[in-house]
Amino acid sequence: MLQPKRTKYRKQQKGRMKGVAQRGHRLSNGTFGIKSLDSSFITARQIEAARIAATRYMKREGSLWIKIFPDKPITKKPLEVRMGKGKGAVEYWAAVVKPGRIMFEIGGVPMATAKEALRLAAQKLPVRTKFIVARDYQE
Amino acid sequence: MKSITIKGSKRESVGKKATKALRNAGQVPCVLYGGDAEPLHFTTEEISFQHLVYTPDVHTVVIELKSGEKYNAILQDIQFHPVTDAILHVDFYEIFDDKAISMEIPIHTVGVARGVKNGGVLRYNLRRLKVRGLPGALPDYIEADVTKLKIGQKLYVTAVESEDYKIQHPDNTVICQVRTSRNIVALDDDDEDDDDPQDVPSTETDDVAAVKE
Repeated sequence: MLQPKRTKYRKQQKGRMKGVAQRGHRLSNGTFGIKSLDSSFITARQIEAARIAATRYMKREGSLWIKIFPDKPITKKPLEVRMGKGKGAVEYWAAVVKPGRIMFEIGGVPMATAKEALRLAAQKLPVRTKFIVARDYQE
Repeated sequence: MKSITIKGSKRESVGKKATKALRNAGQVPCVLYGGDAEPLHFTTEEISFQHLVYTPDVHTVVIELKSGEKYNAILQDIQFHPVTDAILHVDFYEIFDDKAISMEIPIHTVGVARGVKNGGVLRYNLRRLKVRGLPGALPDYIEADVTKLKIGQKLYVTAVESEDYKIQHPDNTVICQVRTSRNIVALDDDDEDDDDPQDVPSTETDDVAAVKE
């Protein structure tokens, strides 16, 4: 699963996800992609599940690009522990995704294949998504 | 180069309120600059960009204003809404017959690469080439002959040089390359190999990843 190799600080504050994506909202590598319509934390496990679903359908044809990276540590307190006594341990890593963010891109396969592969990938994600085609795409 | 006509009208006020009202009415605020005069703010229908923006081809634009003025221009920049992908704003750059312009021209490949016949895959690094030249001399597209490419070889921008335009990329920029595929059939090294390898040094690969595959 994806996670940073090294971080400056072990834990982060929660933060707020306001507004829409200001970058990463245009296709940069592939011809097709899925764009988030909601804001959410996407966990490394969800990204991996989506990647496996898409590549399995593509049968190793074409290329898949993951355009988000889970760089935010999410902490959790153990079960049955009273409040206080400090912040919990890092439980998993997540990517902060805002509406408009392209999460996955595909190139080198026909549109029907890309659409189905990305539909399967989108089912693994906790956000509503939109299928995107490059504006210079030609059949 | 093919041309598309866009009809518009001059904008009276260019503030945030007026711009929002325009967008709500299905109009797109645009600006034209590049000439000696002040930038010209105008508005046009969003539907008029259908054949200019959502196409792999490039066009020049003739902007016709309601006041009767006509301007030749090219699409310089375009802004989209991050979520809805609606066109928010368009920049046009005025062109003159005697003034060189920079433009991104699409690349069309010609033929089937020898490496592809042997089971390789043609991968594009560039779909468009940034070139500079006089508007009348710029082509609709640039043809790149890939028939001689073997597996592991690359086509550089120097292969498509012309007197009509000047390529704005470094000489070692790769347009496309033939990579090994997982379903490769056979490597025909002896098929009509009439080229002396020393004649084409620039297309020899030093791509370690390609060799490993």
